[in-house]
Amino acid sequence: MKCYLQNLCLFAFLACGMTATVSATEIDFENDIFPILDDNCLFCHGEDEQESGLRLDRRGFMLRGGDSGLAAIVPGHPEKSYLVDAISHVDEDMAMPPDEDKIADEDIELITRWIKEGAIWPGQMDDVAEEEIDHWAFLPRQTEFDHHTIDGFVHAKLSEAGLSFSRPADPRSLIRRVSIILTGLAPTPERTFDFIAAFNEDADSAYEQLVDELLASPHFGERWAQHWLDVIRWAETNGSESNLYRKNAWMYRDYVVRSFNEDKPYDEFIREQIAGDITGHGDATGFLVAGPHVPAATVGQEPTAIRQARADRMDEVLQTVGASMMGVTIGCARCHNHKFDPISINDYYSMTAAFQDVEFGSRFPELGADHPRTLRAAQLRDELKTLREQMRSKGWAWVEDWTGYEEVHFPTKTIDELRIHFDGRWVMLDELEIFESTGEQRNVLAEDMGTVITDNPTTHVPNQPPKNLNDGVFGTKGWRGVSKKGNKETPWLEFAFAAPFDIGMIRLSSNREDFLETDYLEGMNQSKYGDFKLEIRDADGDWKPFASTSAMKKRSSENEERQALQSQIQETIAALLIEGPQPAFLGQFVPPVETYVLARGSPESPRDQVFAAAPKRLNGNLDVEPNAPGPQRRKAFAEWLVASDNPLTARVMTNRMWHHIFGSGIVPTPSDFGRAGAPPTHPELLDWLTSQFIDSGWSMKSIIRQIVLSRAFRQSSTPDQDGLAKDGSAQLLWRFPPRRVEAEVIRDSVLQASGRLDSTIGGPSYRIHNVKKRYAQWEVIDNHSDETWRRMLYQERMRRVDDRIFTAFDFPDCGQIRAKRPVSTTPLQALNLMNSDFVVTQAQLLADRAESESGPSIEDQINRCFELLLCRRPSQTELTASVEFAQTQSIELLCRTLINTNEFAFLP
Amino acid sequence: MGAIALSQLLAKDNLLASGLESGPIRPKIDDKNPYAPRPPHFDMPAKQVLVIYCPGAVSHVDTFDYKPDLYKLDGQKPPGIPQVTFEGPTGNIAKPFWDFKPRGESGKMVSDLLPNLAGMVDDFCFMHSLTTQTSAHPQGENFMNTGFTMEGFPSFGAWVTYALGCETDELPAFVAINDPRGLARSGKNNFGSGFLPAAFQGTDFTASNPPANLGRPNAYTPAADQASVSLLQRLNAKHLKQFPGDADLAARIASYELAGRMQTSVPEVMDIANEPAHIHQAYGTGSGTELKKAYANNCILARRLLEKGVRVVQLFNGSDPAGGNGITNWDSHSDIKETHAMQAEIMDQPTAALIADLKQRGMLEHTLVVWCTEFGRMPFLQANGTGRDHNPDAFTCFLAGAGVKKGYSYGESDEFGFKAAVNETSVYDFNATLLHLMGLDHERLTYYHNGLERRLTNVHGHVVKDILA
Repeated sequence: MKCYLQNLCLFAFLACGMTATVSATEIDFENDIFPILDDNCLFCHGEDEQESGLRLDRRGFMLRGGDSGLAAIVPGHPEKSYLVDAISHVDEDMAMPPDEDKIADEDIELITRWIKEGAIWPGQMDDVAEEEIDHWAFLPRQTEFDHHTIDGFVHAKLSEAGLSFSRPADPRSLIRRVSIILTGLAPTPERTFDFIAAFNEDADSAYEQLVDELLASPHFGERWAQHWLDVIRWAETNGSESNLYRKNAWMYRDYVVRSFNEDKPYDEFIREQIAGDITGHGDATGFLVAGPHVPAATVGQEPTAIRQARADRMDEVLQTVGASMMGVTIGCARCHNHKFDPISINDYYSMTAAFQDVEFGSRFPELGADHPRTLRAAQLRDELKTLREQMRSKGWAWVEDWTGYEEVHFPTKTIDELRIHFDGRWVMLDELEIFESTGEQRNVLAEDMGTVITDNPTTHVPNQPPKNLNDGVFGTKGWRGVSKKGNKETPWLEFAFAAPFDIGMIRLSSNREDFLETDYLEGMNQSKYGDFKLEIRDADGDWKPFASTSAMKKRSSENEERQALQSQIQETIAALLIEGPQPAFLGQFVPPVETYVLARGSPESPRDQVFAAAPKRLNGNLDVEPNAPGPQRRKAFAEWLVASDNPLTARVMTNRMWHHIFGSGIVPTPSDFGRAGAPPTHPELLDWLTSQFIDSGWSMKSIIRQIVLSRAFRQSSTPDQDGLAKDGSAQLLWRFPPRRVEAEVIRDSVLQASGRLDSTIGGPSYRIHNVKKRYAQWEVIDNHSDETWRRMLYQERMRRVDDRIFTAFDFPDCGQIRAKRPVSTTPLQALNLMNSDFVVTQAQLLADRAESESGPSIEDQINRCFELLLCRRPSQTELTASVEFAQTQSIELLCRTLINTNEFAFLP
Repeated sequence: MGAIALSQLLAKDNLLASGLESGPIRPKIDDKNPYAPRPPHFDMPAKQVLVIYCPGAVSHVDTFDYKPDLYKLDGQKPPGIPQVTFEGPTGNIAKPFWDFKPRGESGKMVSDLLPNLAGMVDDFCFMHSLTTQTSAHPQGENFMNTGFTMEGFPSFGAWVTYALGCETDELPAFVAINDPRGLARSGKNNFGSGFLPAAFQGTDFTASNPPANLGRPNAYTPAADQASVSLLQRLNAKHLKQFPGDADLAARIASYELAGRMQTSVPEVMDIANEPAHIHQAYGTGSGTELKKAYANNCILARRLLEKGVRVVQLFNGSDPAGGNGITNWDSHSDIKETHAMQAEIMDQPTAALIADLKQRGMLEHTLVVWCTEFGRMPFLQANGTGRDHNPDAFTCFLAGAGVKKGYSYGESDEFGFKAAVNETSVYDFNATLLHLMGLDHERLTYYHNGLERRLTNVHGHVVKDILA
């Protein structure tokens, strides 16, 4: 801000000076201005050289500005013209001319006046410097094609290189390959043998049937969700300071799994993730806050640091959108115009205007009436209602634990006064609500209900008065009552209602903040008010208790029926807290503030105000009002993404599908379609397949199906010397390129082979970490016992935490976009897969399974182990070696060995 | 195809584009051994690097950056002190909590807080005008160790390992020795591989905790374990015959051989009990607090790793706040006199002994030593307090060993140690200089990730030539 203000002062000064000293003669560009530019600027900013991308030899270039993205001149507005800043040395780092003295004050004044008077440049008043877009990815797709099948395009390229397809893969390799690619799980031996038999009868029909079965499997969504979550570096912790757990963030993971399983059209998938809050898909917006963030509370108290942190959070949002859906890196434009791609600094900040209402945090997701979570919640609420009615009908009162708060239910009292009298001497509440048990079941403490609250004057804490009880502010700054030494009284709260109400429930908490934002920390969600009594006045006007929480607990423990009912209530609540629409880390929405271009990315240097838009040169006008509400802006942005003339969106996703199937995309840089990315190996194929994608109604399953049915996919992966020599990485697809499978595939396939994989879809993640203190690091405490035997997709994704086994297999740290995992081979992988408790445990379970399924014969057991892990029987030499091995060692050790083989770890 | 198009051929690291005057120099990674030694960009004396990292921010004005004006202004609040810094309102100037004395032949003024390190100033090259971009620890640690305040970038050690591989094929190329109390604030970021292949991340172990999964499981006898390894070799060899010429498969076979060697050599290198008594005494493994003893053992481990040819050793002296007994790192917002003293007791003797040991063995000839922290502390106290707040605008680190001037001080902070005043040196410059000392051009050591040729120094950084020997 400092520079900006200085700048304004300077102009105030210049403007005054001008009227006083400079004669009012008209400025003549050729005689007055051009010589100044020619002497001082054009050597570096002219036709031959354009330092920082800036040219000052044409008016159009001046209007556009250089790489900084700031207009060199804004006619009529010298105060907005970067040229004037530069020559007036407003900012030392951008003082021009460089390494020389400032140009003469009169010259600066002349240029300033020239701009002020409209920057008249005879003959160039219509000059514009719009750059042609000539990079393929930003141009419309081709519509005429030489081929009409994937194999047609691939074969053509192979022929050009003097190569051809390999022979078809054998059925065992094929089923293993396609099962892992589509579901992330190796096939079972039974399915493999069935397939081989059917394949030998009628290869095409057997294979098509298999593919359709795999596409319909609920594990398909798990596998493809994993890819999507990698790209957007989704995780269940913040990263940064204390790396806190993000409560219920997994709801978004489940949304992604469900979307892939339902084959949700990709355009709809985009709309929901960007603006699902307005269409009943609130759980989809976890997308927006998938990246890491620095919570506002941990950046310190300096205002500059707070502004910087907000700008950083906004950048994380844009990185997510840019890398996943647009397939371009837009981060560069945060500080200057993108060097390679048609994204200016103005575009960057216009995009931040489109997402200006997004903040990192939790909220109750907006879920449509047909959302599975809504349906389940309704069911559970009905059950709860019935249970509560049973309690009430007996005249019983009870306490419910909702984790972040408690509810005390009691038979209806029609009263106009109530006292809550605490047993303890030191109590703290952040929020308290009192509900009617009839009619609308209103909170009678709501502001417009006219209730007067007072507390015990002898325990009153002046800076934490009762009015804090209903202000919606969570945390430790609510109401407090403190009974000092010698005081015989304990704290109480009195409520005088505006009229008699039917009261039946009180909800209260000491700190609801963590309930909303995080949990899974030591000392979380503790109540700091203890037991209390509910009192009403008797005929004499004295307060008499009619219910007491300690008595409720006591009686409940004495009466079996009461206790049973209450446990049922508590179980239903526990289910609601997981399956119902609970607060979840899916982002918060805040009123959008005005958005400015931040010169060189600094929140301290705001320049022009900008309004929600996508990149201008990609037809980015969103057609929304400047002050449109946030959701409208995001919705419009989503519509721009999925518009039929957007050259990127569909191509990027088509390429991503190809990438996950073949291990490398048609464009080998799946999140960078810009100039710095790699060009497509098969441009026509990409466009043709993209058209197929759009024509299918954006059906991802239909494109994936088409790809895996191709000959290119179904060919053998066996190398041949000619192919290796001409195209070592098989980019042209003369063979199916084999590759090491991902961490998840290894882990899940081991569990499946041992028969211990819990294949439940969705829900809270399993935990391998300790419950930590707020300021501490996560520690892996159990990465192998039966609690963890689910698919690795459900392992809590903790940013930058090493799980001590599979992180070594290039499992991402979720700090940066990961459109493509590296595939490295390291001795640590070997150690983890040979020696970890996970492998040792699973090897034993595998041996047990082999024995129980195949009886006492060692040969049979060995055969079974090979089947379970490799989907085949051992060869004769393998069998001989294995028998010898098992006789001196053990079947268990054989299983450990097989888990470590290349055959197990590679996609055939 | 211009330079940009060339850089597209990126993704494959083995498509090396070297031999050019500028642009990325991609290390040729041997598929069979990603840790095989690789040549630097240019010749420099340093072949190995030891980074001693002090999380929490060491107070420069109480250690190495002598500011006599602080004695004059003690208890005053001269103009120019901001109302609010990281933790809140500011208090008055406080003179150093330890006396300064001239040390060594150079007469460098160093405080009594670190008497052992003070005795070695003639070997050190101080940098007094460092500045960083943040006042928050995790971002500061990220910035110092990965070149970015944000999450997810490769650490310095990972970059060096990616570029240079390792001289030994029996030990990990890059070892992170965490503080006995646990991980530092930014956790694994400090030694992680970010978006580089996992092969280049630091392997973390200490003198008392071996790397995860190094040892043979108790369930198997040594003979059984060996039989399993042999069978695996046979099965893999047979499988490889079906895929003649497939480098990835051969690489994975080789990685198991490497792992086998590590299983022998890591326990050997960790066996510090066999070090002679005078070494234990010099490092102080038998005296002082338990934390100090444990850190001293880690220091001996660091030397042994370097001796064996490990490329990068990163040694931590401090952890995340929840890890310890009373104090956990150098963060001293209250009672700095006590908390810095407790931390110094752990750090001083073992660290000094380690550097002296390296020197005595001639290892400083080819080893760069870097002592650093994420920022400094304020010359004034926090309001009504007894501690100093974070200072991102001036702090001190020192280098020693291969390629670095001895008994030298570069840059100055202002008269209070409040802001860098002469030769301001950013963390980018610092990291550019470290890479230069390792024979690496920070502008050409790049890795293509998501649309950009990423560098440790982003698009910034100038080598501080003045400190080069």
